[in-house]
Amino acid sequence: MRIGLGVAAVVLLLAAPAAVGDPFIQRVAALVLLTAISASAWNLIGGYAGQVSIGHAVFFGAGAYASLLVFKLFAWPPIAGAPFGIAVSLVLALLIGVPTFRLRGHYFSMATIAVAELIRIVVGNWPLLGAAVGLMGPAVPRGLADLSFLSPLPYFYIFAAVEAALLWVTWAMARSRTGYYLRAVRAGERAALSLGVPVLRYKLVALLLSAGFTALAGSLYAVMVGYVDPESVLGILVSVQMVIVAALGGAGTLFGPVLGAVILVPVQQATNAAFGGSGSGLTYIVYGAIILAIARFRPGGLLELLHWRPRRAA
Amino acid sequence: MPPEPLLEATGIVKAFGSFRAVDGAGLTVREGEIVGLIGPNGAGKSTFFNCLAGDTQPTAGLIRFAGQEVTRAPADAHARAGMARSFQVPVTFEDMTVLENVMVGAFLRHPHRRDARERAREMLEVTGLARQAEARAGGLGTPGRKRLEIARALATEPRLLLLDEALAGLNPTEVRDAIGFVRGLHARGITLIVVEHIMEVILSLAERAVVFNQGKVIAEGVPRAVVDDPAVVEAYIGRSLAGRRLRRRRNPP
Ligand SMILES: Nc1ncnc2c1ncn2[C@@H]1O[C@H](COP(=O)(O)OP(=O)(O)OP(=O)(O)O)[C@@H](O)[C@H]1O
Ligand SMILES: [Mg+2]
Repeated sequence: MRIGLGVAAVVLLLAAPAAVGDPFIQRVAALVLLTAISASAWNLIGGYAGQVSIGHAVFFGAGAYASLLVFKLFAWPPIAGAPFGIAVSLVLALLIGVPTFRLRGHYFSMATIAVAELIRIVVGNWPLLGAAVGLMGPAVPRGLADLSFLSPLPYFYIFAAVEAALLWVTWAMARSRTGYYLRAVRAGERAALSLGVPVLRYKLVALLLSAGFTALAGSLYAVMVGYVDPESVLGILVSVQMVIVAALGGAGTLFGPVLGAVILVPVQQATNAAFGGSGSGLTYIVYGAIILAIARFRPGGLLELLHWRPRRAA
Repeated sequence: MPPEPLLEATGIVKAFGSFRAVDGAGLTVREGEIVGLIGPNGAGKSTFFNCLAGDTQPTAGLIRFAGQEVTRAPADAHARAGMARSFQVPVTFEDMTVLENVMVGAFLRHPHRRDARERAREMLEVTGLARQAEARAGGLGTPGRKRLEIARALATEPRLLLLDEALAGLNPTEVRDAIGFVRGLHARGITLIVVEHIMEVILSLAERAVVFNQGKVIAEGVPRAVVDDPAVVEAYIGRSLAGRRLRRRRNPP
C-alpha cells in the first residue's frame, strides 16, 4: 500500500513536466533535479559524515570543465569528459582530505574553501580553459551523443535517472556498516575510534564518493547549458548552494537534498525572472537569510520539521 | 615460564607542556585479572587510560598488548586488537538510538548489519538496556549513558576492558548491582582494569589495586593492604576532597 502510493507519486511527478508542456516549467524541473544531484552528492560527506565542505564547486567545476574541454580539444561529445572530470575530482579530494582529515577541528572546511577559490582563480587565468571567458559546447548538435536538445524534457529524464541512482547508492550506504560508521564519525570521532572505526579511511571514502558524483553533476550541467565560465561553475555560490539545499531539506537524510532543491530552485528562478539577470546580489541575501533561519530554528532541516524522516535503516 | 601478560605498560610519561600528568607509571595485567586503579583527583588515572587505549600518545614509554607493541598505534587499532574502554565523561553518539550506538561497536567483528544488530541486541540484554533500544542516546541520563558505553564497548568483543569511573553517580543499591554485573563480565573471560573512587567497588572487585599519585604508581598489591599503606593515606589526605571521599566510603555514616 505504502509502496504502491510511493510508486504512483513518483510516476506522477515524472510525468508532470511532460504533461505541463510549458518549457519554462520543464526547465525549472530539470534544474531542480540537477540541484538535487549535487546536493545529494554533497550530503554524503557534509551530511552523513558531518564534514562540512564549502568548496564542492571545485569538483562540480572539474566535471563541467572536463566535459567542454574534451569537446574543445578532441571534438568529443561533452559527456565523454565526465570520466576525466571524476578522475580529477578524486585526485583533488585526496589532496584536500588526506592532510586535513587527520586534524581535529575545522581544517577540512577551511581547506575546501581555499582550494576551490585557488582553482577558480587559476582557471580564470588559464588560456587552455578559456581563462575568464570560459568554454563553449557544440554550437549545433552533431548527433544524439552530444545530448544537446532544444526541449528541457530529455535533461529532466536524464537527471532523474542519475538522481535515482545516487539515492540508491546513498540508501544502500546508509544502511550498511559504512553508513553507521559515518554517522558515528559525525557524532564523535573519539568514541568512534575507541570502537575500532578507522575514521580517516571512512571520511576519505565518503569524500571520494561525494566528489565523484559532484563532478558528474558538473558534467551534466555543462552538457545541458553548453557553456561554462569560472564564476558559474567554480564560484563560491555553487558551493554554498549545495550546503544550503542539503541543510534546508535536512542534511544527513536521504530525501533532504531533494526537498531542499524542490523548494529553493523555483524560488531562485522566480526571483531571477522578477528582478532580471542572474540576480546574484539577491541570491547572496536569500542564502544568508536561509542560513540564519536554519541555524536559528531547524538545525535538522525541513524533513525534521515535517517529522517526515524516512524510517530508520535499523 | 609464565605466559606473556595481556598488557604490559612500562615507563609511561604523558606531558602537557612542562606538566607531567603521567610520570613514569607502569602496569602489568595478566589475562583474567581484575585490577583496580585508584588515586586522588588529578593523579593521572584517566590520562594513563587514554595512553593505554591509544586515545592519546604517550610522551615516553612502551605499551605491549596481546603480544603486539601498540605504544603509538591509534585507538582503532587497539580496539581491533581487543581493547575496549569507557570514558569518564561519556561520549555516546547522541543523535543515534541506543541500539545504533551499540551496533557501531558490534560492526567491528560483524560486518553485516543483520549480525551486528543481533549482537547489539544481545549486549543490550546483558546490560539491561533492551527496553531503551529505540530511544535516542542523548536522552539518557549520565548513568544510562555510562551503561550504554559499556554495552557498546562489549559489543566489540574485547579481551581487555578499561572502565573509567563507570559506576560514578549510582546509588548504593545500583553500585551493588553493578559490581555483580562486572563480576559477570569477568566470568565471561574479560580482563578488566577499573578506575573507581568508590572504595567498596575496588575492595570487593579487584584482586589487585594500583595506586596513582601525581602521575606515579605509589603502591600496588591486595586492595585491603593497599588502602592502609601510609603512603596511600598520605596521598589522599594531602588532597582534602579526595581524602574525604575515601574516608566516607570506608566508614559509611
Ligand atoms: N589535555 C590536558 N591538558 C593539560 N592538562 C591535562 C590534560 N588532561 C589532563 N590534564 C591534567 O592532568 C592531570 C591528571 O588528570 P587526569 O584526568 O588523568 O586525572 P585523574 O586521576 O583521572 O583524576 P580524576 O579522579 O579527577 O578523574 C590533571 O592535573 C589534569 O588537569
Ligand atoms: Mg579521571
